[in-house]
Amino acid sequence: MLKRNMIKNFSWPLKTATREIEITRLYPEVMMELPAAERGIHELDATTCIGCASCARICPNSCIEMVHFKFGNPLKNKKMQFPQIDYGRCMFCGLCVDECPVECLTMGKKVTMAGWERKDIVKSPDFLATKRFSDKEVKDLEAEAKRIAAEKAAAKKAAAKDGAAKEGAAKKPTKEGASVAEKKKPEAKAKPEEGSAASETKKEESKAEPKEGGAS
Amino acid sequence: MINASEVLSSIQSAFPGAVLDSRVESDRRLWATIDSEKILDVCKHLSTKLNFDHYSGAAGVDWIARNEMEVVEIMASHGAHQVVAMLKVKTPRENPSVRSLTGLYWNANWYEREIWEMFGINFEGHPEQYPLLLSDELMGAWPWRKDYKGYPDLTTGERAIQITTPEGYMELHVPPTPAEVEAGTVVKERPKYPSFREREEKEIKSDAEMIMHLGPQHAMVPGPFLLDILVEGERVKKAFLDLGYIHKGIEKIMENRSWLQGITYTDRMCYVASLSNNECYCGAVEKILGLEVPLRAQYIRVILEELSRIQSHLIGTGEFLTLVAGVGYAPWQYMIMDREKIISLIESVTGARLTHTFVRFGGVRNDLPEGFAEQCRKVLPFMKSRTEEFIELFAQDPIYSLRMENIGSIAPDTAKRMGCSGRVLRAAGVAYDMRKEDPILVYPDLDFKVVTGTRGDSADRIDVTLREILESIHIIEQCLDKIPSGPIKTEAKIPKKVPAGEAYYRVEDPRGEMGMYVISDGGDKPYRVKVRGPFYATFQTLTPLLEGVYIADAVAIAGSMDGCPSEADR
Ligand code: SF4
Ligand code: SF4
Repeated sequence: MLKRNMIKNFSWPLKTATREIEITRLYPEVMMELPAAERGIHELDATTCIGCASCARICPNSCIEMVHFKFGNPLKNKKMQFPQIDYGRCMFCGLCVDECPVECLTMGKKVTMAGWERKDIVKSPDFLATKRFSDKEVKDLEAEAKRIAAEKAAAKKAAAKDGAAKEGAAKKPTKEGASVAEKKKPEAKAKPEEGSAASETKKEESKAEPKEGGAS
Repeated sequence: MINASEVLSSIQSAFPGAVLDSRVESDRRLWATIDSEKILDVCKHLSTKLNFDHYSGAAGVDWIARNEMEVVEIMASHGAHQVVAMLKVKTPRENPSVRSLTGLYWNANWYEREIWEMFGINFEGHPEQYPLLLSDELMGAWPWRKDYKGYPDLTTGERAIQITTPEGYMELHVPPTPAEVEAGTVVKERPKYPSFREREEKEIKSDAEMIMHLGPQHAMVPGPFLLDILVEGERVKKAFLDLGYIHKGIEKIMENRSWLQGITYTDRMCYVASLSNNECYCGAVEKILGLEVPLRAQYIRVILEELSRIQSHLIGTGEFLTLVAGVGYAPWQYMIMDREKIISLIESVTGARLTHTFVRFGGVRNDLPEGFAEQCRKVLPFMKSRTEEFIELFAQDPIYSLRMENIGSIAPDTAKRMGCSGRVLRAAGVAYDMRKEDPILVYPDLDFKVVTGTRGDSADRIDVTLREILESIHIIEQCLDKIPSGPIKTEAKIPKKVPAGEAYYRVEDPRGEMGMYVISDGGDKPYRVKVRGPFYATFQTLTPLLEGVYIADAVAIAGSMDGCPSEADR
């Protein structure tokens, strides 16, 4: 009895060894099939990213840094700041993906990222972006952004002037000093806004902007 | 079966004036602040009269704004009723001191030691207040107090200076400021304790005895911990255990991370049980928030947690076999091969293989992918037949039974008294399972048994583990049939700041009872997270269990507990 039982325990492995079994030895020639939900290296849709940095704020390991990247959408992301991810620290938790308000950050099936140096695994938006604009498209969009910004600035300026005039008229019957202070405020407010709108777009624009502002 | 309010009134009538403040959260949760003078009497009353025979742990809380500290004793019963009593004892922040419960509950030892070394709360009457998790130089820094600045004071960056030692190592040193020297505050001599080494050498009584080191680098359990055994010939006379080699301070880290980020840290306490850890943390936060989890999400959570239990049990059994039989003979590779199928199933839902970060407050991250049920129905019958085969092989192997039967056996009463949890407790014949005791999610609707053993020895533990896999498969099959369609996340908006409150939530981890005590002060970060890990509790029983066994069995006993020092060392 004893012997028979023991033989069974020795023969079991032999029996199972002949069954078809999965092995990992094929890597890297053959990659394992990964599910659709796989949380691998991030994929960034630069055409829709709004540069809100939500992803950078939620990351528990602070591995996302917002950096400049040329081929994004200047209409949505005026500062042209896109996430750069340090894979030396990333733990693929996916919180950044969940947090993204426009769902432009996703995680793909790519999982290999070996590099010779530490900086090789700090991946810039250039690497991460699966969707991006071409040079020409970016130029067009920039021009568009410039136009919109200029329009906005002009509208604001006009509104500020209107407001100032109105307020001044309304406040006249009250005390002199108060009305002067009130009058100054809207104008002072309007100016920095112009400046920031200009700096948010591009350099050439910032040159053009004051002129326009001054003219109007 | 008594409920929480009856327990409260019983304490109040037995000790008038002892309960300073109380709250009955539900039938199963009682929160009470007890007069620190009376805590011992109240606990004695609870354990003798009201069947509170399970001391589940203790948590320290530093209420720096109120200038006081709190020790929260978590008390429950092994099946007599389902009330968990959270008894708080307050103590001033200067020279904090409370009564030790070690006289009543043997297993209060480690919990109190941990609170002492982390918060500096002295436990009057504690038999061995030695450091457990911290290294000696950190003693006296009381790192989990809220005013702890880091060691050395790196937050300011000014006081710590680097010194190169003669051997060429860099050391950080905190010189006292002149004002401190004048006031004489820094020269405070830190209390001296006998070191671990001194303590164990004191036990050597004759020339025939010697100390043997098993660890910290030992293949015994996947993770470093020091187990020294005092041997005479082939017999172990006494065992000494030291933890803290991979202490990560996760509880403290979570205090400095936002609520959502905390989930990622629970993953890393024990990676084979990361879904249960997620569940425990999220469940506690959901309780504070008062969130309802949609039914579909509850089913998804149950399915995944049971899958995760299966894979954890498989790897645990496989590891145990490498310890008792050596790699060549043990079916370790078969267990891993089968586990691979389960892992792939989990991965297809969560997107990650081990650290899932999957459960969210009020739901789950992803829905089940298409074809998941079919895939499950293909894998599970295979798993079932395979597990049955394993059970049969274990049961009929004469060598295995000679080697493992009656090795490291624990009687049911001893197991209860020592506060073991999970398979160690159930193998001893105590049917104590959080899924039945403190049911969460949809577990009450599902049909399953609590698997128990009879002898409580190493062979029984493995048998219980394998039979639990069958139960888990049964649960998943039911869930796949019952799972409704619908949303996977609650519609309620989850605020960035969690309203002030506290909750204690328990789940059945693959290793036993896992509880998390979460406190919110209304901020965007937890005020305190206390993790009551299952293996921490079981680990404590290892040293008494090893007394009198053969050296070769020491490894087998430790292995049969399915240890995870990473979780014990949180
Ligand atoms: S996956 Fe997690 S760790 Fe990695 S970048 Fe996103 S948030 Fe950070
Ligand atoms: S990827 Fe998403 S979250 Fe990150 S900056 Fe872009 S829009 Fe914001």
